[in-house]
Amino acid sequence: MKKFVKWVLLSFFLVSFPHLVHASVITYERTSDNQYGVNKHWNVGGHNIDNVMDTPYVDATSKIYDFSDILTSDVEKQLYRQIQQFIQTTNMDMVIVTYNLPYESDSENEYFATDFYDYNDFGIDFETYSGVLLFRNTYERDRYYNIYTFGKAQLYFDFDRLDVTLDNMYSYFTTDDYLSGMSIFVDNMLEYYQQGIVSKYKDYYVDEDGYLQKRYVPPFFIAGIFSLVITTIIMFVLIKKNKMVKKASKADDYLLSDSIRYSLKEDQFIRSHTSSYRISSSSGGGSSGGSSGGGHSSGGGRHG
Amino acid sequence: MSNKVLDNHCPCCSAPLFYNTTTNHFKCNYCGNEFELKDLQKTEDVTFEKGHNETNVDPVYVAYSCSNCGAEIVADEHTSSTFCLYCGNAAILKDKLSGEFKPNKIIPFRTEKETAITAFKNLSKGRPFVPKDFLSQKNISKITGLYIPFWLYQVKVSGGIEAEGVKVSSWTRGDVHYTKKDYYKLARVGEMDYEKVPVDGSTRFHNDIMNAIEPFDYQYLIDFNYRYLSGFLAEKYDLDSEISFEEAKRRVLTSAKDIMYNDMEHYTTKTITNNTIKAEKTNVEYVLLPVWMINVKYQGQFYLFAMNGQSGKFIGDIPLDQKKVIIYAIVIFIVLFFVIMIGSYMLYQMGVVL
Repeated sequence: MKKFVKWVLLSFFLVSFPHLVHASVITYERTSDNQYGVNKHWNVGGHNIDNVMDTPYVDATSKIYDFSDILTSDVEKQLYRQIQQFIQTTNMDMVIVTYNLPYESDSENEYFATDFYDYNDFGIDFETYSGVLLFRNTYERDRYYNIYTFGKAQLYFDFDRLDVTLDNMYSYFTTDDYLSGMSIFVDNMLEYYQQGIVSKYKDYYVDEDGYLQKRYVPPFFIAGIFSLVITTIIMFVLIKKNKMVKKASKADDYLLSDSIRYSLKEDQFIRSHTSSYRISSSSGGGSSGGSSGGGHSSGGGRHG
Repeated sequence: MSNKVLDNHCPCCSAPLFYNTTTNHFKCNYCGNEFELKDLQKTEDVTFEKGHNETNVDPVYVAYSCSNCGAEIVADEHTSSTFCLYCGNAAILKDKLSGEFKPNKIIPFRTEKETAITAFKNLSKGRPFVPKDFLSQKNISKITGLYIPFWLYQVKVSGGIEAEGVKVSSWTRGDVHYTKKDYYKLARVGEMDYEKVPVDGSTRFHNDIMNAIEPFDYQYLIDFNYRYLSGFLAEKYDLDSEISFEEAKRRVLTSAKDIMYNDMEHYTTKTITNNTIKAEKTNVEYVLLPVWMINVKYQGQFYLFAMNGQSGKFIGDIPLDQKKVIIYAIVIFIVLFFVIMIGSYMLYQMGVVL
C-alpha cells in the first residue's frame, strides 16, 4: 500500500511540475571486455588509460549529459530535438555536457571536454569523428563554458565564429537561462554550417586523426612567374653568347709602364658636417591562438 | 723612278713563293725550298748588282676594286681575289694600284687558315641559337687572310682632373646615431704616355670589331716588306691619320681620366668637377695587322667575323635563329614549370606548406 501511495504521489508531482524534473546521466563501467568503451580507431594503452578511465562512459545517442543537473527534462527534450535537426542537416554530431569540474586553468576544461568526446562514441560519420561539443563547467568558484569542435566541424566553426557564438550565449549563461543560451548555440552552429567552410580553411581537409591539414594546391601562378623569370635570364645569357663584340672604351693596355708623372696630387680638407638622429624604440604586441590541441579546435571560452 | 712587278719568285726555280705562317719562312711549292726574308733580300741585292739597274724602284701591286661598295683590296701578283670581302660582290675589277701604299711596318700572320676555319666552326659550341646553315662549307671557304691598315699612335696625355671627395663615417652613442661627412677638394695633375694605340684606317672595318680582337703583340712588328703579302690580301687605308686620331684620343682620354680618378683613394663618393686632360699625338705609324676575315650574308644582312692573325682571338656577332630561340624559350619554360610543380608537391609531401 505504501508503495502504491509513493507511485501515485510521484506521478502527481511529475504531471504537476514537469519543468522542475531533472534527469540524471547514466554512465557505464569501462572494462577491458568493452574495450574501455573506446570504439574509435585510437589505441587505449599506458599513455592514455588514466584519462580514459577518468572519463565518464555514456550512451552516445543521448547527446545531452547534464552531470551538473542544471537542465530540466523539458529543456533537455527541446534541446535534443534541435540537436537532432542539426545532426540531420550537417551529418555532424552535437553534444552538450554540464559538469562540476574543479580546475585551475582553462586547459583542464579542454582536456575534460575533448576526452569526453574522444572516449565516447561521438562523431556521426565515424571517420573523422566530426562534431561539436558545448561544455558547461558549473564549478562554483569559477563557472566556465566553451565550445569544442572535432573533425570536419573545425572547418566550419573556426575560432572567430565560435567566439561570436560564445558572446551571444554569455548573457543567458550568466543568468542561468540555459534553454535560451544553448538554443542560441545550436542555432548559431546551424547558421554557420549553412554559410559554409570558413574561407581560410578552403584549402584544408581533416586527416584520419582529426587534425586539420592543408590540401596540396598546385602553385600555378607562382610557378608561372618563377619559370618566366628564370627562362628570361637563361635566354638572355644564351642570346648574349652570340654577341661577342664589345666596345673597347679604354687604352690601358697601351699605357707605358712608369710613365705616369704627377705634378700635383692634392687632397685638401674643406669642411665637415655631422648629422644625428635619435633611434626610436618600439614594442610589438603579442598574438594569441585559439587552438587547444590535437585533433580538435575550440573557441576562446568564457568565464561566468 | 720606274716600277717593277713584285719579285716573289724562288731563287732556285723561279716558281712563286708563298709566306708560311707557321715557320715564318717563304716556301716554294714547286721545288720545296724554304727561304728566310734576309736570304731573299740578299738574292735581290745580287741581282741588282749584276747590272739590272732597278734600284730605287717601287713594287707594283695589284688592286681589286669593288664596283658595289668601293672597297679597294691590295695584293701581290700571285694572289687573286674573286669576290669583295665586304659586300660579297663578285664583280671586282683588277687593276694597278692607284695612289700610295707604303706601310711602315707589318705583323706577319702567325696563325694558319685552318685555325681560323676551326674557330669559325667552333662558334656553334655552347651557342644553341646559331642558324643551322650559317656555318656551312660555303661560308667557311670565304675565310680570307687580310692585312688591315692601322694607325699606331704615340700619345702624350697631360692635364688633370679636380673632384670633390666625401668620406662618410657613422657611429651610435646611446640612442643617438651620428653620421659625419668630411669634404675634400681633390686634384690630380700630371702626364702619362701611351704607345702604339691602334686605330684601324678602314671605314669598312667596324672599330668595335677591330678593338675586340686586340691586343696585337707589337714585339713582332717588323719593317714592311711586300713579300709578306704573298698569299694574303691587304686593304689600303681610307681614313687618314688625323681623322683616325679622334678614336685614339677618345680611348686615351677615358683611360687617363680613370687612372687619375682611381688614384683618389679612400673616399666614399667622388664627383669630378673639372677635367683638363688633353691628348697630343707625338708619333704615328702606318702598319698592317693580320686578320682572318669572313663576311657572311645571312637573311640579307652581312655579319663580319675577324680573327686576330697573331693571337687567334675570334670575334663577331652571330645572328640568332629566331625559331630556335622561341622553341628553347618554350621548352625551358615548360621544363621549369613542371620542375617547380613537382618540387612544390614533394615539399608538400615532406610537410613543407608553401
